[in-house]
Formats: sequence, C-alpha cells, structure tokens
Amino acid sequence: MNLVSCTVFSNREVSRGNFLITLQVPRGFAKPQPGQFVHLRVSHEAEPLLRRPYSLEGFVDRAGIRAVRIYFSVVGRGSRILASQPKGRRLDLIGPLGVGFSPRPRRLPILIAGGRGVAPLLFLSRRLAERKRPYVFLFGARSRGELYGVREIRGGRVHLATDDGAVGFHGSVFELLKREWEEGSHSPLSAEVFTCGPHGLLHEVSDFARERGIRCEASLEGPMACAVGACRGCPVPLLATADGRRYPAMCVEGPVMDATAVDWSRLP
Amino acid sequence: MKAGLAVRIGSLALRNPVLVASGIIGYGREYERLVALDRIGGIVTKTVTRHPRAGNPPPRVCETASGMLNSIGIENPGLAGFLEIKAPLLRDLPCAVIVSVEGEDVEEFRELVQGIDGSGIAHAIEVNISCPNVGPHGLRYSTDAGMAREVMGAIRPLTSLPLIAKLTPNVTRIGEIAEACEACGADAVSLVNTFIGMAVDSRSRKPILGTVLGGLSGPAIKPLALAKTWEVVQSVDIPVIGMGGITRPEDALEFLLLGATAIQVGTALFADPLLPEACVDGIASYLAEARASSIDEIIGSLEIPEGRGMIRAGRSERADREMAAAREGRAS
Repeated sequence: MNLVSCTVFSNREVSRGNFLITLQVPRGFAKPQPGQFVHLRVSHEAEPLLRRPYSLEGFVDRAGIRAVRIYFSVVGRGSRILASQPKGRRLDLIGPLGVGFSPRPRRLPILIAGGRGVAPLLFLSRRLAERKRPYVFLFGARSRGELYGVREIRGGRVHLATDDGAVGFHGSVFELLKREWEEGSHSPLSAEVFTCGPHGLLHEVSDFARERGIRCEASLEGPMACAVGACRGCPVPLLATADGRRYPAMCVEGPVMDATAVDWSRLP
Repeated sequence: MKAGLAVRIGSLALRNPVLVASGIIGYGREYERLVALDRIGGIVTKTVTRHPRAGNPPPRVCETASGMLNSIGIENPGLAGFLEIKAPLLRDLPCAVIVSVEGEDVEEFRELVQGIDGSGIAHAIEVNISCPNVGPHGLRYSTDAGMAREVMGAIRPLTSLPLIAKLTPNVTRIGEIAEACEACGADAVSLVNTFIGMAVDSRSRKPILGTVLGGLSGPAIKPLALAKTWEVVQSVDIPVIGMGGITRPEDALEFLLLGATAIQVGTALFADPLLPEACVDGIASYLAEARASSIDEIIGSLEIPEGRGMIRAGRSERADREMAAAREGRAS
C-alpha cells in the first residue's frame, strides 16, 4: 500500500450514468488482487473532503505502463466530480488496499454480479481465465445497457438476467443461482460462490450459501474515512454465531469477506 | 539560519508543534507508510478505555459540507488489550507518543493513568474528558468544571507524565473548564473535540448515523475551533494545543498565532496523509519569511487592533479581566 499520484488515461461513459476510468499509476505500484480497492481523491479541491473507496475493475500492466481501471456509477458528489475528470488530469490514490477474493484450488467458482457490482468479478474472471480455470458467471442488471463487460468475459460459462427481460432471464440473478445450483449438481465440496452487488442481493446469496454450507465470499461497499484500519469508521456487523461482539473494519478485514458471517440485516 | 521549531508541553519536548489527533491515526503503524512520523512532533493514540469497547453500530461516518460526522464510539481493546497488543507497536515510533485515555468514572481514570504510566511507552497522557460518542458519561466530565476538577485532581498524583486535558467545545464557557483543569495540575489542555452534530436522510426519513447524533469535524468547524482556542488561551497560563479543521499549513499557523503552543491535525489526514509534514514545512517557511529565530516569536503574536470590539460570547470572568488588563497595559 502506497500513496501514489496517478493520471487519467481515459474516462468514458459506457452506459447512461456509468463510467469506466483508467488511471495510470507509477511502475512501483503493487499488483492488486481482484477484490482489492483504492482510496481515491477525486479532485484536489477542498470539497468533497474525503477520499472515495473504489473496487478495481481491472489492472493493466503492459509495455511498461501500469494502470488501474474503475467502473463506477454517478451517485453523489464524489462520483459526479470523478466523471468529469478529463484525460491527463493528475489525481492521487492510496492502494492497493484490503483483502481480495481467494478462490480455492479444484473448486468451481460461481460468480454472481448485480449491477455495477460486476466490476471486481470481471477482474476475478480475467484472473481465472489467465489460469485456465473454468468458472460460471451469473450477471444481473436492470437493463441491457447495464450489462457492462459481458462480451469480454472469456473462458467462463455466462448466464444473464435483466429486470426488464430485454436480455437473458427475466428477473433476479439470484434465481439464476438457484437454478445453477440445482441443475449443475454442485456441492459445497465442488463449487464456491463469489458475489458483489446491492446489499439486498448479497443478503439473499449469503443466506442461500449458509443454508447449504457453501463457501461464499462477498465484496462489500460502504463509506470509509481512512481506509487503512485506523479510524474504525467502516464497521461490518457479524452474526452472533460468527463473532457478533466484534466489528471488523471493512477496509482492512474486507472489502471481500465471508458472506455467511455478515449480519446483513444490520448493515445499512 | 534555520529557526527553532521545538516546543514544550510541560516536561515533554517536541521537535515541532505538529501532532496528529486521537482517533485519526490509530496507533501509528496503520499510517506509517503514508505519514512521515520522523518529521512530526508526535501522535495521539486512539483513546484507551478500561474495558474493551466494540464501538457503535454502523453507519459510523457521514460526510457533510466541508466536514464529517462520526459516531465511532471509542472502539478499542481496553487497557489490558492495549498494553498487550498495541503498546509494543508504539514503542519504537520515531516521534512522541501521547496516549489518550477515557474512563467512565474517576476510578477508571485512575486505573488507566496508572496502567499507561507503568507501561513506559507514553511521553504524555491526553485525558479525554470530552468524547461525545460514549453514552451519558463521556461529556459529563468536561461540561462541568467541578467534575473536570474531580478527574484531574484524582489522577494528577499518580503520574509524573505530562497530563493534557482534552476539552469539548459543547459548553457555554470553555475557559472555565480549562481553568479548572489547570488548577488541578493539568500540564496542558487540548481542544477542540468534535461539535455534536446530526445528519438526516430526507428520502428514508431516518438519521444517517447509527447513533443519531455524532461529532462534527473537518474544515467546517475551523472558525468555531479558533474561537474556542482563543478563549482558552486567555483563560489559562499552561500550554494550549489547538485543533479543529486544520486542512492547510496556514490553518495550523492561525492556531499558533492566537496562542496555541502546538496543533493537532485531524480529519483532513484521511484525505491528505502528507498534511502533517506540510504543516511542519509551512511553519518553518513562515518563520523564515518573518525572520524569526524561534517559533516562540510566532506563538501568541496575533495583533488585535486597538479599539476593535470583541463579543463576550462564553468568556470566563478571568478572561474578561485579563483582556481588560491587557488593553489598559497597551493604553498606558
């Protein structure tokens, strides 16, 4: 983890309100793992005050150039400013931070993405493809336009869902998981789940996994102040059966965590 | 010639007046790759309580206009956990280590001060009698001069380490609390802790913080913090450590000019880990430009133009007398 200056290499709106920004980082920047994040200062102005934590969509490392890619939606002050940063603008970030996904050997990874939560799972899918590992990628979004990155998924079996039914299954990606689990004759010893998306989806997926004893990692999202474990501003509530008296910090014990231990009902 | 930046807080000599505030930098190690600890005066640790605290339910932080609300709730491993797990991390830090403590009653303050004193790792103790986020007890000791006196009086005989009383701004007359701490042997006072604040989500019709109320920090509070610090420096003779919204080196200088002996960087560190070092450099170049040989020439050198009226908001009677005396002295 380091504080590094970075330069906007490209920044484009890939669908309405959703952007992909590529930030060139120094060559000394450590290679991030899928699921790790950076704490980005979206401008050098005094407002907004705090950095923003962004999970990485990917990492570019070729021809001596290193860059991190962030897929984000405009949801507030910080993301609106980030969306307006032109090519060549210098920013700075702290990273790579946190704990990423940890797929186990010889188990089939089932990736479940909801909306912009697809970002770290695209990163993970590329890493799996590099290692020639098979995987299943279930991706749900509101509409066709938000099915970002689907055409670049290589080496995995892909199933899509949309809320409006325009593409793939008409309904929630959670239904795709239930179907995949039943029809694929998977077992907790042969498959495991990696998920990211709205907390409602993560709640459903983790209940499903807990009931069946499936190993399940989720990438969490939430406000952070320091992002290095110092301020204790990003507590994750755990179930009483896990370690309910303790609040692990999302920034250093996550953002990827054992989804079956998280008390989603107490996580805003 | 390079001007001297060293300052003293009681018997503690700091290489410069720039500290990082409690609750910001953990126990130092969390930020050691980002903050140049060997260039700053010191750090104040996360507050240690007698028993472990899990902290408050989420959400604990919320960004506001030029500021941040927090309701962390002093999540910490308790005194025994601190001594076992955290103290070894602090031992070799290349700067002064000020350990922050907070008790629920006088007895807990006693145990904490004895425990920290005995550990040998602290260069000073900051007595947090002002956290807004720990239920009914926290603010009690620094909103009431009698209770502040009770705590400071009880712990003063237990240690020869410098004792710094950290004050809340959520009072009408902060100068009187500072005077009470001084009278009971505090070596310094530090201020301000956060201002009590609240954020509401109009869409969900709910408060944003898990605890409804929280503490406001960041540049939004700097003018408020300067006013409280100004009041306190006129109320006591012991060193005052100023903080609240320091975001640029100029902000640090403003606190020094109105009489703070040292400053603490807080919330802005999250955005800019290079800020403490920048404050050191900014103070040094300010002294060079002013051709000052020592920082003592800057501290308290604020000039109040003659005849400039001052409002009385919250000043103690002693502060009033001293200001009147100062004006007479200038007139004669």
